[in-house]
Amino acid sequence: MSGSYFELLGLPERFDLARPAIEAAYLDRTREVHPDRFATAAASERVAALQRSMQLNDAYQTLRQPVRRAEYLLNRHGVFIGDNERLDDAAFLMEILELREELAEARVAGKLDEVARLQAEMRRRHRGLLDALIPLFAAVEGDDAAGRADALPRVKRTLIELRYLARYLEECDAALDDEEA
Amino acid sequence: MLMQIAEPGESQIKEACRKRVVGIDLGTTNSLVAHVVDGTPTVITGGDATAGDDAALVPSIVHYGADGVVVGHRAAELAAEHPRDTIVSVKRFVGRGLRDLASQRALLPYELAPDDGRMVRFVVGAGDARREITPVEVSADILRAVAARATAAVGGAIEGVVITVPAYFDDAQRQATRDAGRLAGLEVLRLLAEPTAAALAYGLDRGSRGLYAVYDLGGGTFDVSILKLVDGVFEVRATGGDSALGGDDLDRAIAAHLLAEAGVTIDLAADTEAGAAAGAALAQRRLARRAVTAARAVKERLTDADEALFTLSLADGRAIERRVTRAELAALARPLLDRTGRACRRVLKDAELDAGELDGVILVGGSTRSPVVRAYVAELFGREPLCDLDPDQVVALGAAVQAEVLGGGEQQVVLLDVIPLSLGIEMMGGVVEKLIHRNSTIPCGASQTFTTYADNQTGFDIHVLQGERETVEGCRSLARFVLRGIPPAVAGMARAEITFMIDADGILRVTAREQVSGVEASIEVKPSYGLTDEEIEQMLLDSFDHAEDDLQRRNLQIERVEAERILAATRAAIDGDDGLLTDDVRAATEAAIVELRRLAAGDDHLAIRAGVEALDLASKPFAQARMNRVIEAAMRGRTVDDVDHSLAHVHPGDHDHDHDPDHDHAHEPPDGR
Ligand SMILES: Nc1ncnc2c1ncn2[C@@H]1O[C@H](COP(=O)(O)OP(=O)(O)OP(=O)(O)O)[C@@H](O)[C@H]1O
Ligand SMILES: [Mg+2]
Repeated sequence: MSGSYFELLGLPERFDLARPAIEAAYLDRTREVHPDRFATAAASERVAALQRSMQLNDAYQTLRQPVRRAEYLLNRHGVFIGDNERLDDAAFLMEILELREELAEARVAGKLDEVARLQAEMRRRHRGLLDALIPLFAAVEGDDAAGRADALPRVKRTLIELRYLARYLEECDAALDDEEA
Repeated sequence: MLMQIAEPGESQIKEACRKRVVGIDLGTTNSLVAHVVDGTPTVITGGDATAGDDAALVPSIVHYGADGVVVGHRAAELAAEHPRDTIVSVKRFVGRGLRDLASQRALLPYELAPDDGRMVRFVVGAGDARREITPVEVSADILRAVAARATAAVGGAIEGVVITVPAYFDDAQRQATRDAGRLAGLEVLRLLAEPTAAALAYGLDRGSRGLYAVYDLGGGTFDVSILKLVDGVFEVRATGGDSALGGDDLDRAIAAHLLAEAGVTIDLAADTEAGAAAGAALAQRRLARRAVTAARAVKERLTDADEALFTLSLADGRAIERRVTRAELAALARPLLDRTGRACRRVLKDAELDAGELDGVILVGGSTRSPVVRAYVAELFGREPLCDLDPDQVVALGAAVQAEVLGGGEQQVVLLDVIPLSLGIEMMGGVVEKLIHRNSTIPCGASQTFTTYADNQTGFDIHVLQGERETVEGCRSLARFVLRGIPPAVAGMARAEITFMIDADGILRVTAREQVSGVEASIEVKPSYGLTDEEIEQMLLDSFDHAEDDLQRRNLQIERVEAERILAATRAAIDGDDGLLTDDVRAATEAAIVELRRLAAGDDHLAIRAGVEALDLASKPFAQARMNRVIEAAMRGRTVDDVDHSLAHVHPGDHDHDHDPDHDHAHEPPDGR
């Protein structure tokens, strides 16, 4: 069984999916094939159940998070993002760099309010980019070949930007954890 | 609500396969065993009131004396007199090396064998009887005692157990626990996370739905888990904790504080049992043990009283007598509680929740009896916690339910647990690349491809680590192995695919495969602090009187029972089948059945096992077809319309993970108290 994650969960292959629907699809299936239900079965059945459960878990882990779902879809369209792929956009990089410095200063000065403010702002921005993926994917998934060719690189770009933002948000978390430690 | 529509033949399979099973809470301080009687999980008590053995709790204490091994209440009575030979709280040493204990050495009255890079070893006995013993063996002695009381209660040999472990136990600690079960001669059906077990007992008892946090502070470990309960599915969303934080630490903090105040120092450095120093060393050990025991008594009394008296007689005839108030206890507990608070905040963040979104907080573990702890938890989560099930017993009760599920019983619940700590491998420059992230639902797997970095490199050094840090030093080293025999090539040409698989016990298996030549290496990661299979086999042999014979008989018995079970299950599956079996699969399966019947009548246990495997192999296509049909049958009549919502309404929230504000909390809050 080597269908796509969407097939495994019985979901339509597209970006715009609601979290509760993904959860429900996963729970319905996992409930049926969970290894515990085959604990006293023959080994071949136990193995089959284990494998199917693992596939379902992998699928769920990937599809439930919009960013991972988007990257997975992008890969299915033959476009990949390298581990250290950088954005060729000086203005964007500059801006992130400045924001990071601002964060670092707030952190060093122990200004947690300021860190929290920067974090909230970045979260908003992160959310905005995720929303922007919806129409882009609509084009990718549409019938218009030209529209698709145009949208794919933009999806990729958006996902790379999201990586920068995610890293920034991790730094915010780390800064807020300082106080904890 | 948990009814499922039975597959054809499923009920016959169930009946044929039913096992005699129990759940065991192997606690740091106390162990319990429970089983399901007429659908109700019930704790098994001992029968002997004179030995204090009629209680549900068996103290997890083992005494190694001249006349043999003593476990439980009677061992507890010997603890003060024989501190070195009476092991308490062994769980804190399981799967650990000497180096791990640095921070907890204070007031430990044991003689520990010198560090040889392996698991901690206690030295017990004197003269000819002097020997080293591992925490796995001590745990096995506790399990044996607990299983013995269960055998009497369930009316026959135990055929399978579920043993609980702290959710935050890492791979080494889980493996050591499973090894202890094996060593005790038990078939370990599953290792189950303690907070998950508690939630199971709670959820079934109350019919609860929604999001719950379980705060489990026991004698030696702290866990916090967040679970979502819906219709018989218990889904762990995130887990966190500290596997070396519990009531024991508070006891030691109290003792250390009061000793320091009185100007008393205890010197446990004299780790020798020989000559003149022996007497002095024993006296020091006794004092340490009594001080900690007295501190614990004071702590427990402060649960009901505002003040309690700490008394400790010293060697020079003096005595410490000191009134301790609850406020003082609160102050001493604060640093420990703050550590639990940090873990709770992190776990909420991992689950993408605010405390206010929870439907309840469940208290588990003896330490949560203390009002100091309760007040802290109430403030932390902004609500009164639930504690109407006995916090000592819920874990064992949940383990019994899960044992029943795995033993083929009627109960239809599904537990979806997670791995508590990320797993990865070492990369160039001492950086850890994570293959599986913490809080991934188990069972799960992941693989990644790596390339050679030097010309003519003929091996891949694979170092497996567990933990959250990015560097090797910040993580726990689980195992190292080498993938050899790679044909020499230019750097970057050879590629190794490394695959991690985590089973439902949360235990890791790693395989590595060189992709060009196909060279393969597979290991069940035996942690650096684990025991080898040979060591366990030897210990098992040692524990039988007429070792070889007994072991033979036992193995034969086990394989025969297994063969019977498989034969019955396969027969029922074939009879209930409607058209999934192709003719050749049917012929092969029938032939394998005949052969296994023949083998099971003989007395070669290895041959029987081979027969079981052959039958499995023959019926494999059938099994897979059945699996597909199970899903199809369940999904029939549903459409994908259910999924046709727009993401725009369900806002993907904070950073990388999304957050769904209307996750269906089907609110049915338990009539809380
Ligand atoms: N009334 C009480 N007040 C305060 N603490 C108590 C009380 N009763 C028991 N304890 C503490 O609870 C701890 C034991 O709890 P419990 O039996 O739940 O632990 P355990 O399950 O053996 O340990 P773990 O789960 O960490 O492996 C001990 O530290 C004990 O001192
Ligand atoms: Mg416990």
